[in-house]
Amino acid sequence: MTPTEPQPPREAARITAETDADLVGRTLAGDRSAFGVLVERYSASVRRVARAVLGDPDDADDAAQDALLAALVKLRQYDPQRPFGPWLMRVVANAATDRRRRRTVRRVDPLDGNIVAGGPAPDVEMQRRALGQQLREALAALPERRRIAVVLFDVEGYSHAEIGRILGVPEGTVRSEVFHARRALRALLKDWKEEEA
Amino acid sequence: MTPQVTPFDHRPDRALGAALRAALTGADEPAFVTRVLARVGRPLPYWEVLASWSRAGITAAAATGLIATFLVGRAAASSTPDPDFLASAATASARRLVAAPRPPDPSVVLAGIEDR
Repeated sequence: MTPTEPQPPREAARITAETDADLVGRTLAGDRSAFGVLVERYSASVRRVARAVLGDPDDADDAAQDALLAALVKLRQYDPQRPFGPWLMRVVANAATDRRRRRTVRRVDPLDGNIVAGGPAPDVEMQRRALGQQLREALAALPERRRIAVVLFDVEGYSHAEIGRILGVPEGTVRSEVFHARRALRALLKDWKEEEA
Repeated sequence: MTPQVTPFDHRPDRALGAALRAALTGADEPAFVTRVLARVGRPLPYWEVLASWSRAGITAAAATGLIATFLVGRAAASSTPDPDFLASAATASARRLVAAPRPPDPSVVLAGIEDR
């Protein structure tokens, strides 16, 4: 697959063989169950992107819900000749960014006491949670556009060109953002693997 | 994990992607889907309805404005005086004054008075 080809999220292929454009068409014709399939297909990606922007899981879920409802309201603006995922992700990124701007106090997940204090020897699940916590914190320290870019590229599988259209920036800017985000996050991952060894 | 980090690397980093996916994936996916779909069934608040109309409304207003500007401009450019009104002008200067598309030059007005 070349970088410019559409790369639908990995969840997408799992739920029904019906195309996104077909489901959008059925939704516009009044079939709300078709929209339900779209929600099932994209909800995990939508929540992850919202969480990358907002950090707080409750805020992220609220933003994800707002984005999905906004997508339903704006569905006539979607061009069925283009892939649905990037269009939806643009709605999500905007909804999450709006919510972040409106939010006055930033809430951050508290660090697990055992991790901070170095407590008892953690098991695998504890280590996994610790890494997740550290990654979320490292992600939160990155500029917003960089966060969204790396999550869309490395987690959701969108191409640089698609991310450029989602964020409204040139493809080269997306490459740069992904590069800088990866450099910061990979260092964390490398440290963690070395500790694990 | 890909050892070399370059801005031109177009391949997704599977290890980093998997770690981020685990860190960002929310719990209880079915409950979230149910929550969203329950919300879909309810009527939309008025501001969401208005927001959905805003784009079409702005487009329609802009198109109406453009069409109105074009029609007014065309009417002004091609306006010709009513022949009966033109015939009512007794003198050549008065006819020029009536037929002129621009406001009259004072000398033309004065010339018309002199003719009388």
